[in-house]
Amino acid sequence: MAKSNDLAQLISGCKSGNAESFSKVVDTYASRVYGYFYRLTGNRETSDDLLSELFVKLVEKIGSFRGGSFESWLFKIASNIFYDYLRDKQRRKKTLEVLKKQFESEVSDAKEYDSDRIDKLQVQLNRLDADTRELIMLRFYSQASFKEIAAIRSEPIGTTLSKLHRGLKKLREMMK
Amino acid sequence: MNGRNEENLKELFKKFIGAELSEQAVEDIRQGEQILRSHTAPEPDSELIADIKAEITANLLHKEKNTFRKMLSKTTAVAAGFILLAFIGVKFFEKNQAEPERLVADSTLPEAVWQSECLADDSADSAALLTEVEQIENDLLALQFGENGDNGYEAVTEMEMELTEINVDFWKG
Repeated sequence: MAKSNDLAQLISGCKSGNAESFSKVVDTYASRVYGYFYRLTGNRETSDDLLSELFVKLVEKIGSFRGGSFESWLFKIASNIFYDYLRDKQRRKKTLEVLKKQFESEVSDAKEYDSDRIDKLQVQLNRLDADTRELIMLRFYSQASFKEIAAIRSEPIGTTLSKLHRGLKKLREMMK
Repeated sequence: MNGRNEENLKELFKKFIGAELSEQAVEDIRQGEQILRSHTAPEPDSELIADIKAEITANLLHKEKNTFRKMLSKTTAVAAGFILLAFIGVKFFEKNQAEPERLVADSTLPEAVWQSECLADDSADSAALLTEVEQIENDLLALQFGENGDNGYEAVTEMEMELTEINVDFWKG
């Protein structure tokens, strides 16, 4: 994590359209955000796309950053991108189901996960519901406080605490 | 992150699930996060990072161009506004400064009559004119009272000729 003074300088540079500052922000956060996307999608290609989308959005939206925690702000965008992806995937799934009924023998299931590279954690994570999975990953990769996470997800802090506790407990049991 | 480092999970859980359960909840979270730490996610490819940086640079250039275009069009609009205002202002100023318009009307009198600066000549001409008018008056009276004794038709013709001559002389100046 960048030191607050360095980070402030980076953000200031980004706001004035400095490519070098953006490059440093990418170097600082790409790994964490990529981990977040990968653990949510289980697919490297999708994670690549989502990561690119995040940094393109960062360039567009940096002017609207009004201080506070940059990580929280960045992960809020990442979270929105993930939910957009999820909605799009569900729409595609519905379309696919309709097509499947029409061309039963021709259409096979779309490959959702990198089955060859997937680890045990990914398998168990995929058994959790998308919302709990997102919350666990948001907490882990953004390193934000519960208060900040509750704000990102626009829900009461008690709900966030309870969901995360239950989710991690369940994950731990599944991993045994 | 400062927010996270400063937060006291145990105290936070206490508020929602009470002191007894809070310790266990904190331990569940710690162990769960330990699992996540021990299973590292893959890193993004260096090629992907290079692509992202290139895309950002391209977007910044595009943004810069757009900003310049917007600024240029705004400046042009403001300049056009100023020019228009200045034009209107100058027109308005000129209108206020202009002399009152003269009434221009064609005169039926020869210019020489009005433009002559020689009072003596003008007086002589006036005197001649008056004499001729008086002569005509006398002739008219004579005609009226039949004093000529001549043919009245000739007298009228003669009078007409005289009047025409006077008219021509007069308008010639």
